[in-house]
This record gives sequence, structure tokens and C-alpha cells, in this order.
Amino acid sequence: MLLVIEQLLNGLQLGITLFLMAAGLTLVFGIMQVINLAHGSFYMIGAYVGATVAAHTGSFLLAMLAAVGAAALVGCVVEILVLRHLYRRQHLDQVLATFGLIMFFNELIRIVWGRQPLFMNVPAGLNKSIELLPGLPYPTYRLVVIAVGLLVALFLWLMFAKTKVGMQIRAGSSNREMIGALGVNINLLYTLVFGLGALLAGLAGVMAGPILAVEPGMGESILILTFVVIVIGGIGSIRGAVAGALLVGMVDTLGRAFLPSLLRTILATATADSVAASLSSMAIYILMAAILVWKPRGLFPAHG
Amino acid sequence: MNLLMTRKQIIIISVALFLIFLPPVALFGGKPYLLSLASRIVIYALAAASLDLLLGYGAMISLGHAAFVGVGAYAVGILHFHSTAAEPLFTWPFLFAGSNNGLVVLPLAALTAAFAALIIGALSLRTVGMHFIMITLAFAQMLYYFFTSLEKYGGDDGLSLAARNTLPGLNLGNPSHFYYLCLAALFVFLFFAYRLVGSRFGLVIRGAGNNDRRIKGLGIHSYHYKLAVFVIAGGSAGLAGALLANQTEFVTPGLMHWTLSGELMVMVLLGGLGTLFGPVLGAAVFLLLEETLAMYTEHWMVYMGPFLVVTVIFAKRGLFGFLAGDKGKNG
Amino acid sequence: MADTLLEVRGLNKSFGAILATNNLSLAVTRGHIHALIGPNGAGKTTLVDQLSGDMRPDSGSIHFRGRNITRWKSYRRARLGIARSHQITHIFENLSVAENMGLAICAGLGHNFRFWRHWRSASAIQKELPFALERVDLLHRSELVARHLSHGEKRQLEVGMALIGKPELLILDEPMAGLGPGGTVELAKLIRKQKGQVTILLVEHDMDVVFSLADRVTVLVYGENIATGSPDEIRRNPLVRKAYLGEGG
Repeated sequence: MLLVIEQLLNGLQLGITLFLMAAGLTLVFGIMQVINLAHGSFYMIGAYVGATVAAHTGSFLLAMLAAVGAAALVGCVVEILVLRHLYRRQHLDQVLATFGLIMFFNELIRIVWGRQPLFMNVPAGLNKSIELLPGLPYPTYRLVVIAVGLLVALFLWLMFAKTKVGMQIRAGSSNREMIGALGVNINLLYTLVFGLGALLAGLAGVMAGPILAVEPGMGESILILTFVVIVIGGIGSIRGAVAGALLVGMVDTLGRAFLPSLLRTILATATADSVAASLSSMAIYILMAAILVWKPRGLFPAHG
Repeated sequence: MNLLMTRKQIIIISVALFLIFLPPVALFGGKPYLLSLASRIVIYALAAASLDLLLGYGAMISLGHAAFVGVGAYAVGILHFHSTAAEPLFTWPFLFAGSNNGLVVLPLAALTAAFAALIIGALSLRTVGMHFIMITLAFAQMLYYFFTSLEKYGGDDGLSLAARNTLPGLNLGNPSHFYYLCLAALFVFLFFAYRLVGSRFGLVIRGAGNNDRRIKGLGIHSYHYKLAVFVIAGGSAGLAGALLANQTEFVTPGLMHWTLSGELMVMVLLGGLGTLFGPVLGAAVFLLLEETLAMYTEHWMVYMGPFLVVTVIFAKRGLFGFLAGDKGKNG
Repeated sequence: MADTLLEVRGLNKSFGAILATNNLSLAVTRGHIHALIGPNGAGKTTLVDQLSGDMRPDSGSIHFRGRNITRWKSYRRARLGIARSHQITHIFENLSVAENMGLAICAGLGHNFRFWRHWRSASAIQKELPFALERVDLLHRSELVARHLSHGEKRQLEVGMALIGKPELLILDEPMAGLGPGGTVELAKLIRKQKGQVTILLVEHDMDVVFSLADRVTVLVYGENIATGSPDEIRRNPLVRKAYLGEGG
């Protein structure tokens, strides 16, 4: 039972990371109607900048600020230099250009930081465990990650539901012309939304730094998971991003943790292990396929 | 009859002649390694041209085409593995011990890839636009992880082949023989695809690619047509994968990696979308550029990336369209 | 009324509090060009949507060729012989004119899983294509990519595609919208040419076009049929002058 709770928390933590990625990406998809493959690069930049600053200053807080700032800055520059020219183009052009961006960023990272993965220490003070329940210690750092993610989710919800900027963004997603007519600077708004998405990706990256290896190409594995989240949740929907991220986080974590032992009860050990390995690595894609059959536009399709 | 050929025809014929006479020239010139590079180009050209059926004609932006290349390659690898191991591939409904015979293996590889395309296409084509792009990518990644988890067939490390497939009358170990096999596969595919896009079926596909809602308004269920072309393209990519496995005598999950899907897309775009022949040029340019840049710097991608971005933003009709003075299909 | 092709009885459709179609009855005689006019917001497109099957009426019935088709889906109505062209042109911009027309012909051929022979060599297409292009004066344009056609020619193409499959009733929804004077004259000529081959329900703003083409005119105001008659009768009808024609003059 305790093991289940621990794995549920791990699933939640993966879900939170995915949510940070998906929230920004789904906004960009939904509002600008542009598919951006390079979103994972912002995650990677966040992780690298964070790891470097942390190694030099020893301060995780500074590392987070630097990572988030760098990702947001790179995001804005990318929007102005590249993405802006692609809004009214076909999806194919968007895919190819952002694929080019990925090539560039991955290689640039290799030039600057080399091919070897970086390792980022868990910040001092958070490298202990908290005993959540008797007999259930859980790493403090992961709890902090969960808390930060929940705060961001709350912040996004408040921003979209309560503030003028949020309403402008939502109006922009449903009616590009109208918002232009209202006198809002649509170019600036798009740059800021894109920068916000990149910022969230950078935050996800720096927080994942102490948990995963920081290496070139790390952005793409998380990007594809994020796509699965968005497909499940529905393009352009923050609610969908929450639901999809939690589903994918849970199914992936629980599948890897419990499928082998579950299958061992019905199959021979060797067979069970190999089947479980295949099944658990494919579980979220099978989930995606099932939801696709049931609801082709995702669980919470945005309007239009 | 007009005896003057169009620029398009001149380009196609000269490239075809060049490809046909490459082996004797390369061998005579003492550069046999060129043949291996040329084989690789021809194989990638086949995969890219098959992707062009989807991208250029049906406007189905599949970002998972490498999955079918990988499935074709693994079909060769697994059949080879069982033909040499004591353990048969399956014993029911009949005993099949695996095979190394190209007459069995190559069609089986294409069929397996086509079957994978049938399943993935049937699910993915329920959606359009951005959804379709993400879903094809996700399914390709699923296959990637699936083959990574197959410890029996080498998992992450992949599977080595002790020898290339056998074909009556040919020795595939001989670079020239192998090259001509690949070239024949490419030519047959291009001819078939050329007929396909001009046929009634192709007309429906092109119509759906241009305006899917209008096609449905005409009362044509475009889903079935799109699925059929998805399967054809997947099977052809599988054949390319089978040839690739033979060339490298090695298969790995890396063949299904999504970067390869992206590179195939780049080849199509560089050569010219919706031209079939363009992707052949695109594959040649991409691979040669890669080879050349890699000679000077290991970080060639840092130049390739921005080159790609600029190409996409400013050039719209591809190399073939440029050479042939074409207006471009989707300009 | 032995020769009534389309009959509408007591049709109602409302959106919330707005009556878009109000107890509307209407009969279209076979072979006629029957025009439907009315000020903006009179519910013309709503009516057309209900006739083509793109929208369900709340009550009332629609009869076509003596059959009650009120609950039929649009593709079944199409098979029975109702064709429609839209306000916004629906063509395949990247295909040639001939290919556009060819696709419309293909749609009537059952299935198109023919992978090898060129589409033009199918016998049905060889038989029908030149005739179909000639009918809408586009034979000389057949190899042009459709997006390079003029606005009026695109409309001609769309009408031509709607005429494939020999529909009994052709519904043209504001075919003149967005055309210049030249284009309007050309298209009017083309519509007149179809007279006798097909019954046409013409929804149109342009009064000159309506009065020069139509055999019968129905005036729609607030979803209601306030008058039906010959163009002359309509012109003289005081009710119509007040409700509609008076607006402009």
C-alpha cells in the first residue's frame, strides 16, 4: 500500500513536469495555430543553464531564475526571428522549420557543454526525505517540485479566468481579427504568450535537472510525451493539459512500477518481465490510441 | 509529336542515366566506396519519395514515417535471426524457421510495414491537422520503445546480420549487384507512384489533400482513400528499410527514431513537394551535404538547422521545381 | 399541380426567439427558374439549408419528386437529385479545371480504387468531361489550375460541378455575390442556358438578374412567404414594394 502511494506521488511529479510543458505548448497551438517542435529545446536550455548556474553559485534559487529567464528570452527571440513568419503558413512548413531549430539547439548545446551528460545536485536543504506516513519517506525535493507545479497551475488559472491579459489571450484564441480590432498589439501579445510557454518549459527543465540526466536531446523525449498529453487533453485547453498530464504521468509511472509484478502472477517470470517491459513502455501510447477512438479531438476540445 | 523534351524530362532522364552508369564509372575510377554512398542515397530516396505520396499529394503530414522504415528493417533482422538460431520464429499454424531468402524476406518486410501502417493510419486518420502530426509522431515513438524493449532481438543495441539476403542470380554482397537492386526498387516505385497519382485513385487523393471538406461534400469518403495511400507509402518505406538493413547488415531501434522521420521530410521539401522525383534529388543533396559538412566539422547540424529554417521561410518550390522552372504545386 | 418538383408545406425553424422560417409554403414547378428574394436576414440561406438537408426544420414538410424528404440526410437528397452550390465557392484550388470536373464525375462512379489507368481514360469520364466543361464555357480553360481562374469562372466551375450527375433541382445560393458586372452577365447567360435541362432555385440579391431570368419569384420577409408570382406580378405587388423593393428606392 505504501509503495502504491509512493508511486502515485512519483506519477504526480511526472505529471506536473508534463503539465508545465503542455500548458505552454497547448497555448501556442491553440492561439497561434502553429505547431512548434522546438518546445523541448526550451526545456533543455532551462536544464543546462540551471545546472551550470547551480554548479557555479551553489544556489538553486539563482539557478531557477537564470534557467527560467534564459528559456523565456530564447523563446521570445525564436518567436520574433522564426515563428512569426510561419503563423499563416502550412503546418508542414512549421514542422520543418522548427525541426531545423531542434537540430540547431541540440548541436549548439553539444558545442557549448559537450556530449557528456551533466549532473545537477539536489539543492542543499532539500536533499532529505520527509516521512509522509509512518514507513513512507519521500524525497523533499520531489515534494517541492509538486508544490511548485501546483502553484503554477493555480497561477495560470487565475491569470486566464480573472485578469484582463488572460481574457485578451482567450479572446485572441477564438478571434484573431476581433482582438486586433480592439487595439491590442497582437504581435506583442503573441511574443509574450510564446515567451510564457518557453518560460514554463524552462522551469520544467531546471526542476527535472536534479532528477534526470541533463543531456542533448533530452527535450525531444519529453516533447513527445507532451504531444501525447495534448492529444489526450485536446489542443488549446489548459484543463485538458492538466487532465492529460496527470493521466500520462500516472499511467506511465504505475505501469512501469506494477506491470511486471502483476504479469508475474499469470505468466512465467521471464516472459512476464519481457512482456511487462514492452507493455509499460507502450502503455501511454495505447492509452492515447484508446482515447483517440473514443474522442478524436481529445478529452476537453477547445471551442472551434 | 514534339521532339523537344521539357526541362523536367531532361533532368529526369539525365539523373536516371547517371544513376544507371554510376557503378562501372565508380569502379573504373577506383572509388568503389562511392557505390555504398550511392546505395544509401537510392534507399533514402525510396523512403523519401514514398513519404512524398503522403505529404505532397494527400497533405497528410506524417511525422512518423521512419517507423515503417524501421519495421521493414526489423523484419529482415528478425527473420535472419531465426534462420540462424535454433529457435523457429513461430510453429503455429505452420512451422516457420525464419528466412534469409530475399524473395521471401523483402516482400514480407514490405507487408509487415504496410500492416503497421494500416493500424497506425486507421487510428491517426481519424484526426486532421496538428493532431495528425502529433499522433503519427507518438505512434512511431511507441514502436521505437517497443523494439528497444525486445531484449531477445538486442534491445537498445540492435541486431547484427551475419550476411545479406540471398536472391537467385544476384550476389547482394557484391556492391554493384546490391546497388542495382536498390535502384530497381526505386525505379519501380517511382513508376508505380507516377501512375498512381495520375489515376482516379490519385485524383481523389490530390483532391482530399487540397480540400478535404469539399471531397466529402462530393460524397466521397476520403478516409478510405487516405488510409490506402498511407498503407502503400508505409509498405514502400518498409521495403526501403529492408534494403537499408541489408546494406548496413545491422538493425537498431535508431532507425525508427523520429529524427529520421524529420530528415525524410527535409529531403522531400528540399527536392520539391508533390513531385515524386524531387525527393530523389532531395535525398542526394541532404546526404551529400551531410557527408561534406561532416568532413569539416562534427557539428554539421548547427549549420544544417538554420539552413533548413531559411529554406522553409524563403524557398517554397524545392530543388526540382527550381531546376525545372516549375511554378510549384503549393506555392 | 401535376408538375410540381419541389413542394414545401408549413415549414418552421426558429433559433431561440427568432423565427427564421415562419409557416412557409412554396411550390417549384419542373423546368422553371424559380427565384427566391428577400432583404438581408429574411431567412433565405436557412431555407436553402433545410432544402439541401444541411439543417433540420422544426415542423412542416418538404416533398421532392412526390416523396417526403423532410427527414432525409443531405447525401440521400443529393442522390434523389438535389444539387447545391454555395455562397462561398467550393472548388479544388490546386487542381486543374478538368481535374475539378473529373472529381465531380468520379464522385458518381461508385468507388475510385483504380490505381493504374489515368483518370481521364475511364470511359465515363471520356464521355462526360468535354460535355460538362463545354456546358459551363470552360473547355478552353480546362488545363488551367483552378486558383488562376477569375472569380466568375470559379463560380461557373462550381455550377458545372453541381450539374454533374444530372440533378433535377439545382439550388444556387447567391451565385452573383462578389462578381463584377461582366461576371454577372456571363453567369446569367450560363444559367439561362441550363433552362429546360434542370429546374433551378435561385437565391439572389441582384434584382436585375432575378427579373431577367426567373419564371416565378417568391419574396421572403422574416422567414415568411409574402408573395409568389411572375416577375411582373411581383414588380406590381404593393405589399412587396412596401416591404422590400421600397427599401432601395
